Amino acid sequence: MEKKELDKSNALNRRNFLKLGAAGAALGAVTIPSKARENLANKIDEKTAGDFIKTHDDFPYEVRDDYQPHSNKDIVFSGAFWGFHPEEDIKQSGRAFSAKTYMHFEEKKGFDQLAKALNAGAWSLHNAVTPMSSQGISQEGIFKWEQSRKKEGEFRPNHDWINEHQYQFNNKKEAADCIKRAARLYGADLVGITHRDKRWDYRDFIDPHAIMEGRKEDAVYGWERFPFEPKSVIVMAFEMDYEGIATAPTDVEGAAAGTMYSQMTKVAYQLSIFLKQLGYQAVPCGNDTGLSIPYVIAAGLGEGSRMGNLITYKYGPRVRLAKVYTDFDFVEYDKPIEFGAMEFCKNCMRCAEACPGKAISFDKEPTFEPTYEGANWYNAKGVKKYYMDAKKCFHTWGEFGTDCGSCMASCPYNKPDFWHHRLVDKITAAMPGPVHDFMREMDIAFGYGDVDNPEKIDRFFNPKGRSYNGK
Amino acid sequence: MIFTGIEILFFTLGLLTALFIVALVKYNKELNFDKWSWITLITGGSLALFCIAWSVSSVLEGVPRASSMGMVVFGIPSIVLLLLGRRMAIKKK
Ligand code: SF4
Ligand code: SF4
Repeated sequence: MEKKELDKSNALNRRNFLKLGAAGAALGAVTIPSKARENLANKIDEKTAGDFIKTHDDFPYEVRDDYQPHSNKDIVFSGAFWGFHPEEDIKQSGRAFSAKTYMHFEEKKGFDQLAKALNAGAWSLHNAVTPMSSQGISQEGIFKWEQSRKKEGEFRPNHDWINEHQYQFNNKKEAADCIKRAARLYGADLVGITHRDKRWDYRDFIDPHAIMEGRKEDAVYGWERFPFEPKSVIVMAFEMDYEGIATAPTDVEGAAAGTMYSQMTKVAYQLSIFLKQLGYQAVPCGNDTGLSIPYVIAAGLGEGSRMGNLITYKYGPRVRLAKVYTDFDFVEYDKPIEFGAMEFCKNCMRCAEACPGKAISFDKEPTFEPTYEGANWYNAKGVKKYYMDAKKCFHTWGEFGTDCGSCMASCPYNKPDFWHHRLVDKITAAMPGPVHDFMREMDIAFGYGDVDNPEKIDRFFNPKGRSYNGK
Repeated sequence: MIFTGIEILFFTLGLLTALFIVALVKYNKELNFDKWSWITLITGGSLALFCIAWSVSSVLEGVPRASSMGMVVFGIPSIVLLLLGRRMAIKKK
């Protein structure tokens, strides 16, 4: 698992010190040679992680037989911006969000010119090179589907073409290791590889450019335009800045999210070029082309959650996600994992309480259908999970003029990478449900996860505030 | 800075653990602890070390409330246990 590989990368990192402590080797910290210390730490990590992280052979949540792949028309952004649903309220949310994105409010800390400028800079690369991929639109800019081949002797000022020679890896593990190493080199924090699964692909795609140009007949198209039969999907998670997300629901939080949208745009494109130069076809994607959450769950990056986001073992929900579709399939696939997050969600509900839009379910158990009142065309139904009301969420975005994020900021799994949080995570995973209530209360009592707190903005900008990584 | 705050913390905890063990051995020679003195003193000492680790880590990550809560939740019981263990060990003598 990628997570473990990352942990092994630094013999003297914070977690390894804990493991040394756990081994009763406090004296050893002074006397054991570093190689032996690393081996000891890795052994303890494998032992403890192995006890709490279970793997599944199949997709870990029940999927009803009548489940249908979701339509790209049926996402909130398509309803808000491209008129695929007649509801006026969602269009109003879209107009409010668009307008307020460009306005600043000097009297509102976190929504002033400083915060707006920070947010604009964060999103700038994404907006310049893949403008609408964050809204689920395929083929935007460098995320184009087109696969080209270079003619003999032709000069191209880039490498965005498929090499005629296909590189052969010695074995599937080596292939997976090399792909993951490349993704991490380019800037991904977690990487997984899974089979392409048609259930998680959009059923159809919308083309806003055709709508804007008045070509209504081209407004929706299907998979026949996809240039090859994808076999694998490489998924990546990108850690967002802890102190940035803590400022939710402000534009500083939006900047933390936007920074990773720009980053994932870059990395997904770079990884697609890597695959093309190995001689395979590849299409980089952000939120477009398929549903990222089930793909990343299938690839073992984390678990689902009440708020609907992925919860990773290492960063909790504080990640953005990208993927690359490819026809390369000589590779070792990852398996879904479980470390107790969905179970914890049953008792926790902190995100639901923190949500200013009341968009997150308070249901005790996951369900196959949304349980909130009113229209629900924007949910992919038939998977046993918690359904959040994306329309209410987007309405809140329209009120703030930015993307809120209070759910992520409030989640007990959203912690900086410190040994004591890892310890609590492991204890939580080992404990039965009723103890989770207690853990949740302790998380509040210890001062974590409060949102809508202007002091967090001061802390974000304070050069001394960035001490959460133990430096 | 060569070492991070957390690295210095765990190095110091190593030294404190060593000192605690040395102290236990020394006083055991003098007072000859029984089973319950050992259990109470070791639990109290471990909890005190954990309290230091937790509270300093919380300060390093910038959450002072978690630090003070750590002192209350882990620190107070550790002091109670250490005092109790001391009393049991001395009484026995
Ligand atoms: S982003 Fe904000 S409004 Fe949307 S679900 Fe999360 S907390 Fe609620
Ligand atoms: S805040 Fe609690 S209920 Fe919500 S996703 Fe996180 S763990 Fe689950």
